[in-house]
Amino acid sequence: MTLRDALICFNGLLQRELLRFVQQRSRFFSALVRPLLWLVVFASGFRAALGIAIIEPYETYITYEVYIVPGLCAMIILFNGMQSSLSMVYDREMGSMRVLLVSPMPRPFLLLSKLMATSLISLLQVYGFLIIAWLWGVEAPVTGYLTALPAFLLVAMMLSAIGLFISARIRQLENFAGVMNFVIFPMFFLSSALYPLWKMREASEWLYWICAWNPFSHGVELIRFALYQQVNGQALSIVIAVTLVASILAVRGFQPQQGMGKR
Amino acid sequence: MSIQIRNLSFSYGSLNALQDINLSLQEGCFNALLGPNGAGKSTLFALLTRLYALQNGEISIAGRSIAHHPAEVMRKLGVVFQQSTLDLDLSIAQNLYYHAALHGISKRQALPRITEELARFDLSGRLHDKVRTLNGGHRRRVEIARALLHKPEILLLDEPSAGLDPATRESLNRHIRELCDQQQLTVLWATHLIEEVHNDDPVTILFRGRILASDTASRLCQQHNSADISTLFRSLTGTTE
Amino acid sequence: MRCLTKILPPLTLSLLSTGMLWNQAMAETAYVSNEKDDTISIINLDTLEVTGTINVGERPRGIIFSHDKTRLYICASDSDTVQVMDLKDNRIIAQLPSGEDPEQFALHPDDRHLYIANENDAVVTVVDVKTQEVISQIDVGVEPEGMAVSPDGRWALSTSETTNMVHWIDTRTHEVVDNTLVDQRPRHVEFNKDGSIVWASSEIGGTVSIIDVSNRQISHKLNFQIRGIHPDKIQPVGIKLTDDGKYAFVALGPANHVAVVDAKTYEVLDYLLVGRRVWHMEFNSDQSRLLTTNGISGDVSVIDINRMKVIKSIKVGRYPWGIRIKP
Repeated sequence: MTLRDALICFNGLLQRELLRFVQQRSRFFSALVRPLLWLVVFASGFRAALGIAIIEPYETYITYEVYIVPGLCAMIILFNGMQSSLSMVYDREMGSMRVLLVSPMPRPFLLLSKLMATSLISLLQVYGFLIIAWLWGVEAPVTGYLTALPAFLLVAMMLSAIGLFISARIRQLENFAGVMNFVIFPMFFLSSALYPLWKMREASEWLYWICAWNPFSHGVELIRFALYQQVNGQALSIVIAVTLVASILAVRGFQPQQGMGKR
Repeated sequence: MSIQIRNLSFSYGSLNALQDINLSLQEGCFNALLGPNGAGKSTLFALLTRLYALQNGEISIAGRSIAHHPAEVMRKLGVVFQQSTLDLDLSIAQNLYYHAALHGISKRQALPRITEELARFDLSGRLHDKVRTLNGGHRRRVEIARALLHKPEILLLDEPSAGLDPATRESLNRHIRELCDQQQLTVLWATHLIEEVHNDDPVTILFRGRILASDTASRLCQQHNSADISTLFRSLTGTTE
Repeated sequence: MRCLTKILPPLTLSLLSTGMLWNQAMAETAYVSNEKDDTISIINLDTLEVTGTINVGERPRGIIFSHDKTRLYICASDSDTVQVMDLKDNRIIAQLPSGEDPEQFALHPDDRHLYIANENDAVVTVVDVKTQEVISQIDVGVEPEGMAVSPDGRWALSTSETTNMVHWIDTRTHEVVDNTLVDQRPRHVEFNKDGSIVWASSEIGGTVSIIDVSNRQISHKLNFQIRGIHPDKIQPVGIKLTDDGKYAFVALGPANHVAVVDAKTYEVLDYLLVGRRVWHMEFNSDQSRLLTTNGISGDVSVIDINRMKVIKSIKVGRYPWGIRIKP
């Protein structure tokens, strides 16, 4: 595989995802509905709930709406990542995944390119959400929207890789409902997306530890800091490490050498 | 030196899907793989296209082992899957560009190839139509055109005529045969429909994971004293189909 | 051209550094009285960091500058005195008589007379800062709290928390000549720039009354309502008005928000989230920033007025109360 082949191939994958994204505009809007409901309905009720302590990276007291925006961005990425990973696994014996897998390019490259392409599409939805949040009055520093981009991308890669790994290995998660119940919901709720970790600790110590160990929490914190032009070193290193490990495991699950019989 | 399969066996757990398969395709010919549903044709295709890993035996394509030189092998292979793998909401061009990109072919390089292949199937005017607007026969043709984009030496087709009406099936079959003649393309055409096999085609009859017979249709009939391939198939497999 | 590139970097560097020095020298300074710590915190408004803490008398609350901004008067409530701090070296140079438990006070435009509310005695004490003598004690309603002197020096206003009145003291006669009844527990009064209007906050009533100085009648009353916050928690205290007459800011105490009000239409434009129990506020000199003291959370929030955003909250001592900014 030459670099030129690789670029053409990645470009082709990205363009296809883009075209499908444009085709399925209704999916785009329905993907925005979920986080917007959280923001407008749920967060409004708790508006003043967090004006108690200043937590990094914020410099002053924030409304709950401001707090949960990074978590909701991560939620969009989580849903998209899981959805596309799951379809990659369940489509592998038919449809578009088979076309992908007969390409002469190395499979790890194909799979990671595909993950990257869907991640980039996720970003469109994230920024769509951020624009609406901005109109709703939840603003981050202007440059923060730019500095958050690599964080979004990295978190998207991490979550798709986890999704790909989980759905390839755990057959019991047969459909998206299973993934929702056993992966997405626990990951989202047991994280710093909705409440800061100190608040979790007030509720219970073991809850705090679960949240602190959840890689999704670190994804959320990476995004939260990046939106405020800061780097959370701990979150960054954990997200990178998890992305690498999950990618390797996910790609291995797709190697024909590993064999995987008919379900 | 097209496709050589040696001592190939494959099982799903305790269920043997393929047992001791030995097969060589005739170069530049229309090779038929005949077998009822469930005979193991799709498993064989999954192994040939590297969806499943080899368990026992060996496959080499164009002289290269599929396990050791996957990239080279896949470059020489064009595949049409049983189920449609086209994106219905994208246009023909978009579907074909995507496939080309997966083979490292840029849009600019792909366009003349696409026009050439589509012209062969009388689909030139529909380049920018969505696949959804095409009928089943046309969709199949687009898939064949796609499989030929990167100029493979071998074309694999898994039940390509499934779900098509007899007239379309017939014309599709004729098209592929023309391709063999014109381009010296080696074709492996898997089917359960006996009428798609001609008398001078090399035929392999697959049944319950085993090869029952392999030779040209006419010679097989001679050997087994059958009036035609249809009678032969019935007597070998004990089916009434 | 080559010469230029050689000269330019050191030139710009020196310009930059002198600029920085100049900046540092000219940095505005905020003085914050910490009620529980008996200290004054000093904040550098360029870096938004606390640069020093000075020990003062017991329970410092209201603070005010002399007109030339060389001295700071401090109501040391539990020491029953008004202290005078020299801002050159931040030393207390005098203790003025103040009457018992001075909380809020106002300085007359003559730069000489301090009007001090004595909560427990129901009087307003007038002190001459030059002679350091009490000139007069004026009986007002029960628990006087808010104090203001009109820009023309004609009126001294005192609010009494229990009587629920704004008392109009004629500064020439030192007599109460009129009273305006407002909502429960009036806490603070503030004149607009030309002295034609007075804003008076009522802590328990949850309102701000706009009083016309010419007839001393209430012309408007402001109410506040914040999404997700119980109305009982909305307790207006401090008020600040921009000189351009555009905005009024009202600190809403335990609601932890500052209301932004259009000073012409009296329409509430926004609520800004600050620290807990926001009390008093002060502008910087060009009125681009407003600083608030947040009692319970022990910090000072900085509001960028152009963007109408809280940009930072700075930890100070315990229970910050009064705040003044020196250019």
